[in-house]
Amino acid sequence: MRDPRPDTRLDGRRDELDALLRRCVQCGLCLPVCATWLATGDETMSPRGRLLLLGDLLAQPADGPAIDPTVSRALATCIGCQACTAACPSGVPASLLEDAVRLAAPSGPAPAAVPGVLLGRLDEPAVLAAIGTLAAVGRGALRALLGPRWRGRLAGRRHVIATIGRLVGSVPRAPRSDRELARCLDRLCGHGEAPTCALPAAAAPRERVLWFAGCAADGLLPESSRRLRDLARWAGAEVVQPAGTACCGALAAHGDQPRRAEELRERNLAAWGGAGDEDGVTALVTEAAGCGVAIRGYGERLPAPQVDAIAWLARAGDRPPFGAVPLKVALHDPCHARHGQGIVAEPRALLRAVPGLVLLEPGEADACCGSGGAWGLRHPGLSAELGERKARHLAATGADLVVTANPGCLGQIADGLASLPHPTPPVLPLGDLLWYAAMRGAGDSRT
Amino acid sequence: MPEARDRLVAEFRRLLGPSGLLTGPAALSVYARDASHLQWGTPLAVALPASEEDLARVVALCAAAGVTVVMRGAGTGLSGGAVPPPGALAVSTARLAGLGPVDAVVGAVRAQPGVLNAAVSRHAAPHGLHFAPDPSSQAASTLGGNIAENAGGPHCLSHGVTSHHLRSLDWCDAEGRPWSTGEPVAVARGLDLRGLLCGSEGTLGIVTGAWLQLTPEPAAVRTLLAEFPALEAATAAVPRLLQAGVLPVAVEIIDQAMIATVEQAFAFGLPLDVEAVMIAELAGPAATADAGARATTDVLLGAGARAVRAAADAAERLALWQCRKRAFGAVGRLSPNYVSMDVVVPLGQLSGLVREIQEVRARFDVKIATAFHAGDGNLHPAVHYDERRAGDRERAHAAADAIIKAALRRGGSVTGEHGVGLEKVHALPWQVDAVSASLLRGIKDVFDPAGRLNPGKALPAAGPAVRYAAIPSRPTSLRVDVDSLAVTAPAGTPVADLQEAVLAHGLWLPLGLAGREPAPGLDGGGTIGEAVARLLEGPMLLARATARDLLLEAWAEAGDGRAFHAGAAVAKNVAGYDLLRLLCGSGGTLATLRAVTLQLRPAPAGCWGWSWTAPGDGDAGGAPAVAPAGHSGPGGSVWLAALAAGCDPLAGLQVVIERSPAGVPTRVLALGGGTQPLLPAGSGGAVVEARRANVGEAAALLSELEAPGWCLGSADWTAWQPVAGAGTALLPPGPDRFLWQHGPRVVWLPGCAPVAAEGWRADIAWRNGHGAPLPPPPPGSPLHVLRGLKRTFDPEGKLGGPGWLTGGGDA
Ligand SMILES: Cc1cc2nc3c(=O)[nH]c(=O)nc-3n(C[C@H](O)[C@H](O)[C@H](O)COP(=O)(O)OP(=O)(O)OC[C@H]3O[C@@H](n4cnc5c(N)ncnc54)[C@H](O)[C@@H]3O)c2cc1C
Ligand code: SF4
Ligand code: SF4
Repeated sequence: MRDPRPDTRLDGRRDELDALLRRCVQCGLCLPVCATWLATGDETMSPRGRLLLLGDLLAQPADGPAIDPTVSRALATCIGCQACTAACPSGVPASLLEDAVRLAAPSGPAPAAVPGVLLGRLDEPAVLAAIGTLAAVGRGALRALLGPRWRGRLAGRRHVIATIGRLVGSVPRAPRSDRELARCLDRLCGHGEAPTCALPAAAAPRERVLWFAGCAADGLLPESSRRLRDLARWAGAEVVQPAGTACCGALAAHGDQPRRAEELRERNLAAWGGAGDEDGVTALVTEAAGCGVAIRGYGERLPAPQVDAIAWLARAGDRPPFGAVPLKVALHDPCHARHGQGIVAEPRALLRAVPGLVLLEPGEADACCGSGGAWGLRHPGLSAELGERKARHLAATGADLVVTANPGCLGQIADGLASLPHPTPPVLPLGDLLWYAAMRGAGDSRT
Repeated sequence: MPEARDRLVAEFRRLLGPSGLLTGPAALSVYARDASHLQWGTPLAVALPASEEDLARVVALCAAAGVTVVMRGAGTGLSGGAVPPPGALAVSTARLAGLGPVDAVVGAVRAQPGVLNAAVSRHAAPHGLHFAPDPSSQAASTLGGNIAENAGGPHCLSHGVTSHHLRSLDWCDAEGRPWSTGEPVAVARGLDLRGLLCGSEGTLGIVTGAWLQLTPEPAAVRTLLAEFPALEAATAAVPRLLQAGVLPVAVEIIDQAMIATVEQAFAFGLPLDVEAVMIAELAGPAATADAGARATTDVLLGAGARAVRAAADAAERLALWQCRKRAFGAVGRLSPNYVSMDVVVPLGQLSGLVREIQEVRARFDVKIATAFHAGDGNLHPAVHYDERRAGDRERAHAAADAIIKAALRRGGSVTGEHGVGLEKVHALPWQVDAVSASLLRGIKDVFDPAGRLNPGKALPAAGPAVRYAAIPSRPTSLRVDVDSLAVTAPAGTPVADLQEAVLAHGLWLPLGLAGREPAPGLDGGGTIGEAVARLLEGPMLLARATARDLLLEAWAEAGDGRAFHAGAAVAKNVAGYDLLRLLCGSGGTLATLRAVTLQLRPAPAGCWGWSWTAPGDGDAGGAPAVAPAGHSGPGGSVWLAALAAGCDPLAGLQVVIERSPAGVPTRVLALGGGTQPLLPAGSGGAVVEARRANVGEAAALLSELEAPGWCLGSADWTAWQPVAGAGTALLPPGPDRFLWQHGPRVVWLPGCAPVAAEGWRADIAWRNGHGAPLPPPPPGSPLHVLRGLKRTFDPEGKLGGPGWLTGGGDA
């Protein structure tokens, strides 16, 4: 049972929170970037609304009444996407909303569809790999049962099969083999088959980087993860992946397990410790945006500055040219990249460097797709609604292809697109598209 | 009566569904507040209707139950407009955010009230159009809120406020009955309910939809940043700029305290050692924007700027505007609370007021940071306080009141864009005279006799203790305020006299009425009072404005002889309902104008006429191959089509080009037929050179201009307007007609047989001379409201009017 009274959760931090909260001038400029407000139109589910409610709780005496369910729902539905923080001119920190969430629901309402045991183990690649396999089986079964547009037929429904559909539909997936990826994009582009389907590394690496793939990439999208490293090598990196690293700890931290998060951090720092001593490591490159933010949070003890993989690629100046990809591509920025790390220009610069590619910006680009990692499992209905809304915006661009750079977003957007009642473009990891463009470029220069 | 309440809540819920009605403590707390930091009551519940019909039904249910209604857009209002009176139903438009397809021919779009301001421009961008009103809150604020507050923004200097960009409104009254202000046309004569509802803060009617006028994107934009060691030098530079014949699209000033805030927030790199920076923006065809930027730089350097630099690229420009538009949000970093003000003064008084604000700062020992729309004379001093420090709040409000009074002494207004709301109810009587106050209340009674729409807002405080302002003395002779770009004149002043007087100062009244001699289509006899009351227009209207767009202030007498005064000599003003728009075009049926103040503009330095004879005459050599590049709107195509068809509408075509002092062409003033140079009357005494050009030269010139206005010079014509959303097609050109058209606005056809065509409405306002009598009300008008307004102003019916207006009994 969660503790219903606010003060016991405030742990004497009233004054500190209050001081931060007073920075909010209630201007409302954060509303249009908040996915939960956009989807519901309910201001209690907006950043300003949540902060006002947090203020109400702080104003209550220590023995005040129990938190009303409408208040705790408003606070607990915050995704923690940080879109509002990025938009806020007053510098109201994201940590306030995290506190608000904790206050409302110290351990969160029980996830509707996923056993708690499993939720606690989503940071293990082996578990994730198993989930990926299960999901593929599940998708196959549903397709056999309901036909190729099975996902659309389940959208918006509330029964067991629909819940299963939602769950297996949002597990991220990407082409397993390079051939499969190339075939998919060849078909979209109208290209003939490439002579060789591989990406050569730069002859002489210019930079040595520590590489952190992350559990979701490792467990669910191992091939895409490898292609991202291929790209880095192609662009001139020597990639070092020391053994002994673990999950970045983000999941544990959000699941209110600070001790475990600390443990994982120490393990990672120790693993890098050795490699970091080697000469010339210029960056610690992270794949999933969420890991990037968590690892950046390790602070000064990092062996090298943390850099997102896409951002690193964008800044790798003298990489070989990309080959042509004559497609209209809509890009979705993961919140942890766009808001958490300020990565906006980098993926665009890369995509603009691909000959023939037309980059399209969807509406409500600032808003979260509603994946939110474990958040999506705690709020499955809202999460599905957000995913569909995001998918509608992406589809409305008229793109041939949607790309994004985070496993969670990838699964969520794929599921959202599949839920729409009309044909929609495929979705791929941004890295896979770039790998293909690079591979095509390399092929062209060979011939 | 808890059961009655429960029953009502149950009814709302049945109508709106479980997620469409919020009654929990969370909602009641959140929706009790908005950006103003003012608090009043707790709402009964929050309704989120998802269709316009449901919105009206909710209001009807409230009417039946005697519940008051407060509308809410995004709650970014700064005067407390959306703060609910106790027990009111808060009705949010968040789920009414549908945008219709863009009518690209007319340049208009229909929007639901919950659409975010910025979403309109994003939606229209593929057509090269945008929605010009750009409040700094545009990312979050809604059209319903913008319309209810008549919001302005930095670019209102050249484009005007929200009211100028509305074609029509759909609205429902306090009983939930739906009405419309008529077809979505650009110019409408009659009692202007659209103008009256705009700025009425949700107290007269509820906006359920709006047809918005869109504006073509300029071909080029140049944004300058000037550093001023002295704040007063910056404010004094503003009128100098306009007097030098430069009309930027925006001029903003940020003072030192605000620079510090903004730098802390965004680290844009603004200098911390100057008292002010100015952002000035020039727009238009590339050559025009460049010439304007050069002239602006010169004037600003001459006026005491230590440096002026141009934003290097679009990204830097965007960053500069971001830092301006997010300035007030950033104030939260310095102070937990602030009184946000938006007093406005005539431009010539800007420096004086800024000086007085410094004095207030010292006298009350308060911190004041300011970023403001300098080109409009609209100041936003933010008076900081901490509500938890005893006496702090009271001191801040006393300082704010002192600033308001200083602005009023200088002929200004208490509010230029944020509205009266709850916040300025007490200050409104300092500005409004007793007769005006009773007219405002009379208007409220006509629309909402039971007082259920947003009570307690927008109207001046009433009661025996309230002392209203005295009417400023009525001018008996013509007065040009060069610094403030305004002219005040008795209503009987001939337009031609007025034009002559202001041209002597290098300014002009950009109305198409001028000539003393009956020039093509112009009447010699119009007085300025008539031009306002009847909304007279001339052929230059479209490149310019009507009196509706220019009227700033009026002295008038109601039908029963009570004298009143409305408005101020300021560019924007939302203190009380918009009596001025109501008087414009009312044809003298509500009140008799005694004197008016109108906005002036820098006069064109010279108009060069280009004329050539039609193809077949020898040198033209057939149809032109060059289309005006980048031109949006139908004008260009019509004109080119006319040429391409080898048509010779009126024995020849000519373009009259306005040039800047530097000789750079700025716009097409007139396009017409005839071989005698067609010179727009009143366009300035400066050099006018008529030259013949061949078609190729003219097309090249037009492509340089990129966004031409269009004109017909003909002795007798009928006005036609395209109706937005009616599927207006371009009229095919023919030998018997020729169009003059400015982008999406009115089209004139020569007085030959009017062409009945889909999507066009004949609007016979001006047939070689006088305006028509008050036209019948458009379909969908509430006749009882129009008649009620008539009775409010003219209880004894002395001023006459058409039968539908004066006829007895409520319809
Ligand atoms: C940071 C910041 C900057 C700002 N900058 C500017 C600026 O540059 N220029 C400017 O003019 N304002 C500015 N404002 C003020 C504010 O944004 C505007 O007044 C805006 O128009 C309010 O829109 P809203 O949707 O938030 O309306 P709300 O605040 O929700 O409501 C405002 C009023 O409109 C009424 N209303 C809302 N919808 C309807 C409807 N459908 N029918 C009838 N009445 C309705 C409400 O009852 C209320 O009286 C700024 C505010 C902030 C916080
Ligand atoms: S943008 Fe920042 S200051 Fe404005 S309401 Fe949101 S959190 Fe508060
Ligand atoms: S973190 Fe995301 S979901 Fe939470 S309030 Fe901010 S924008 Fe909304």
